[in-house]
Amino acid sequence: MSIELNIDKSVATMKIEGILNSENSYVLQEKLTEVLNSDATLLELDLAECRNISSTGIGKILLFFKDFIGKNGEVEVIRCSKSVYELFSMLKLNQLFTINLG
Amino acid sequence: MTRSKARLLVVDDSASIVSSLCKVLDLSGYHVEPACSGIDALRKLHQTHYDIVICDIEMPELTGLDFLQKISRDFQDEVSVILMTGFLDQEYFINAIRLGAADFIRKPIDTKQLLSSIEHILGKRKIKDENHEFQQYLQSADFSFSIMPVNFSKSNLFNALSSFLRHNFKIDQQVLNELLLCMDEMVYNAYIHGTLQLDQQERRLDYATLQAVISHKLSDPVTAARRIRLRIVINRNEDCVMIEVDDDGDGFDHHAVMQKVLSEQDLSLVEHGRGITLLCHLAHKVEFENSGRRVRITKHLSNGGTSKPASI
Repeated sequence: MSIELNIDKSVATMKIEGILNSENSYVLQEKLTEVLNSDATLLELDLAECRNISSTGIGKILLFFKDFIGKNGEVEVIRCSKSVYELFSMLKLNQLFTINLG
Repeated sequence: MTRSKARLLVVDDSASIVSSLCKVLDLSGYHVEPACSGIDALRKLHQTHYDIVICDIEMPELTGLDFLQKISRDFQDEVSVILMTGFLDQEYFINAIRLGAADFIRKPIDTKQLLSSIEHILGKRKIKDENHEFQQYLQSADFSFSIMPVNFSKSNLFNALSSFLRHNFKIDQQVLNELLLCMDEMVYNAYIHGTLQLDQQERRLDYATLQAVISHKLSDPVTAARRIRLRIVINRNEDCVMIEVDDDGDGFDHHAVMQKVLSEQDLSLVEHGRGITLLCHLAHKVEFENSGRRVRITKHLSNGGTSKPASI
């Protein structure tokens, strides 16, 4: 699993590749904390190459989301693999942020 | 594997190199196809199985290293890659080996050397295929593991089991990913809830602080003596895999959690039950026993992909 994070002023772009599971979700937590501590108000998540996410990973995203909207931040999934899209839809995360398949 | 059965893919942006290599390999008895770029090759690899890809290092759009990275991510060791190169750069070679390159052939191509490299790789694959074949004839395979919590965070269980299952059983990649994710959910829950009994506040700590809390908990002999038992049963007759995880914790009210998971229509930000929701999404059957200390999932092997709601 690898995470690439770029923060350019108010926009943070995070690209996650591989499978996000309980063993590596702390890496996601560290990257999300980095976004939270920056000036970014938009997080664009690129999950096209992310093959699946465990509940621990989802938990990290939701915890971040709560803190991020507290500072008027927005999250958008700009690309998403089919398996993650199905998972997010099943968990109804599309009620929280825009999720684009592709 | 016989030559006539082996499928090769030759990738180079030079049409003349691709054409002459294809001709030589075809005359040598291989089934060979051309690709004009890394992108073209990836497209073909996703459509058809090839045993070996012979690929140029320098190509537009996708370099040899990028290509290798994508192959090792999508196909692991199902496809072997021989890289063709006109130069020798130590760092490049180290990276290519780390990414799983099977061999290197210097340009201009020495046909004898290329054929010998292909034979060597096919010889190694034959042994692996025979092992796979043997596994296919097994009616069922039953593996049990007992995990000590003190070693859990060092064990890298996910990678170890991924490699074990991938090397010993031909399981569709998507099904395997979903099985591994189920296993990860079940074992991690047994560790965090059943064994360590971490509360919500502790679970939300940053990594370093959480590790310190875990070390402290494991210094208690009662906690350290607990075990997580993992059982994997592959049943070829019924075309399914059963994963069962037991812990020595206090258990939980699984009836209430299951009811909540199955009845919830709206988004829930509540942490409790998310792992079970995910299991229901990924598996075909989810069962609890022993007051919630044992969880078992069953997943069919042949109809890959998620999912329909699991039965309970």
